[in-house]
Amino acid sequence: MTTVVEVRDLSKHFGPVRAVESVSFRLEENRIYGLLGRNGAGKTTLMSLLTGQEFASSGRIEIFGESPVENARVLEQVCFIKESQKYPDDFKVKHVLRTAPWFFPNWDQDFADQLVTDFRLPLDGRMKKISRGQFSAVGVVVGLASRAPLTFFDEPYLGLDAVARQLFYDRLLEDYSEHPRTIVLSTHLIDEVSDLLEHVLLIDDGRLIVDQAADDLRGSATTVVGGREAVEAFIGTREVLHRDGLGGLASVTVARLSDTERQAARAAGLELGGVSLQQLVVRLTSGTPTDFEEKSA
Amino acid sequence: MTTSTLPAVATARPLPRRLGNVIRLHLANPFTILVTPLMVLGLIFLINWVIWLLVRTATPTDPDTVADVSTGLQYSGASMWTFVYMMVVAIMAMNLTFSLALGFGSTRRDFSLGTAVTFLGLSAGWALLYTGLAMVEKATNGWGLGGAMFNSFYFGIDESWGVRLFNAFVAFLFFFAIGTVFGAIYVRFRARGLILFFLALALVLIGLVALATVTASWGAFAEFFVAIGWFGGYALSLPLSLVAGVAGHLILRRATPRS
Amino acid sequence: MDENRPIFPQIAEQIENDIISGALPEETQVPSTNEFAAFLRINPATAGKGVGLLVDAGILYKKRGIGMFVAEGARARLVSERRERFRDQYLAPLLAEARKLGIDDAQLVRLITDTSPEKEH
Repeated sequence: MTTVVEVRDLSKHFGPVRAVESVSFRLEENRIYGLLGRNGAGKTTLMSLLTGQEFASSGRIEIFGESPVENARVLEQVCFIKESQKYPDDFKVKHVLRTAPWFFPNWDQDFADQLVTDFRLPLDGRMKKISRGQFSAVGVVVGLASRAPLTFFDEPYLGLDAVARQLFYDRLLEDYSEHPRTIVLSTHLIDEVSDLLEHVLLIDDGRLIVDQAADDLRGSATTVVGGREAVEAFIGTREVLHRDGLGGLASVTVARLSDTERQAARAAGLELGGVSLQQLVVRLTSGTPTDFEEKSA
Repeated sequence: MTTSTLPAVATARPLPRRLGNVIRLHLANPFTILVTPLMVLGLIFLINWVIWLLVRTATPTDPDTVADVSTGLQYSGASMWTFVYMMVVAIMAMNLTFSLALGFGSTRRDFSLGTAVTFLGLSAGWALLYTGLAMVEKATNGWGLGGAMFNSFYFGIDESWGVRLFNAFVAFLFFFAIGTVFGAIYVRFRARGLILFFLALALVLIGLVALATVTASWGAFAEFFVAIGWFGGYALSLPLSLVAGVAGHLILRRATPRS
Repeated sequence: MDENRPIFPQIAEQIENDIISGALPEETQVPSTNEFAAFLRINPATAGKGVGLLVDAGILYKKRGIGMFVAEGARARLVSERRERFRDQYLAPLLAEARKLGIDDAQLVRLITDTSPEKEH
């Protein structure tokens, strides 16, 4: 297993605000990772630290075995276009697409041209004036065409309509299959992206609370639904992730159940349901369901 | 337990290439940095030209009066506008172009160096343009109207072309340099830091003026400048520019492109 | 794709269903992992895991340089596996539900013969 990113006890505070708190993890080569969490959980700060744009308060970062800070060698192999990226005044889309290739050794111009057509980017549009969706699309095009061995997509869907999103998934998967690299998708919209992920890193209030394979997470929790008493009787002393109820009905989320446990539940007349990645994340973090939904423009 | 072997990372591309990228990035949208200031300069020239025309038609045509008027016009500060514009260019570059360069993976060191080269080049370019236009102005006797915009007193009207070229170059460099410092302070310390800086600067300047007044050394001050002449005077700004440039770089070293 | 369960077993099931139904005859080529991933819009590694399950079970095999193929006898093996699971997966719940509704065995058999359409097999 080749480790491309290693982070140990990384912390960053802005005065009293602890944006990233003692985070440790490893990223292996050629996988699609999800860096998930609410807005303000610390995702962008973490990525800024990994790309040397922000300075850590404490802890260690190694990208391709070296510290990324002021390290041209490493940074040429990384692509991180922030969701809040600033551009010079009067910079147009065509200027971004003209300048980006200079900085990324693996840039594929044909692929970039194809993506510009696919996403219908207005080449003469000013970065300050184009829509949020078009702005995101520019980031997507640069991120994909850069073919950087380590690529971060920071909230790539913001403002993208359904068609553009599908396009993004398709192009991403297609290119990832042909040119495997390490990709980190960072977003608060989990349902959108969950099928693409191989591994999940969940950040909440600056702390890393989940670092697991996506498939392990799907099905790692179960909802038990039925009459309140029957449900409580079945649950017993199990750890409860979430309780919900309506009148005499109860719906309780617990950890994974074994096959025998599942049969016992059914025998007791209870219904079992799965828990999606998004629902699981909502349960595990301090957030509410709306934190992980698209805000209407 | 997994043993981690790291993929071999290619060596960084050579320094000139990386600096070249930063330089190209500054010039990527030539409108801001070249076209607009040139257009403004052209506009100012046109306005001046109209004024000269009016003045010429209004004044009596005897040679003495004409020469008198021409001399008066040499105190025109019309061409100064570009200096201020370049200072603003430098301030914006420290904020927005810096942010983009880092977004594209450039290091702060490469950005500082590349920006320095860019500003040196731009200073040289503008200086050549200004001096060239001054030559044309002189050759055409003030554009046929006795006007003076580039042959301005402020560049040293009696000096050689070489000296005037140097003066213009150094002047442009100075404005780029102070723009760099202002911009760097803003990026690192934000609006509050910039305000504090200007307050401190104002205090220092006021202090110096007070000192000069109290010690009645204005006379000596003036004599000094007469002694070193135009060339010396302009050359004095070089160390200031250097200090400003270095200060800008040092400030940027810990700056982040935070919005 | 059921969001609430791991995805890779669902892929394996999908392929198994196609083999049983005859859509994927023996010795024919199965779409590649990347093709599955692109079609279902899922991570290629996940698709690979699903295919891997079937390779391990001997249902699929790999022809180097060409791709994945359905193994000989795969269909027969899958059918017999499913038949064994039929009782637990379908029959037991059916009987439990019938009992709940007060349908006795005789009534149940009549229901089956009435409902089951005449068809060749």
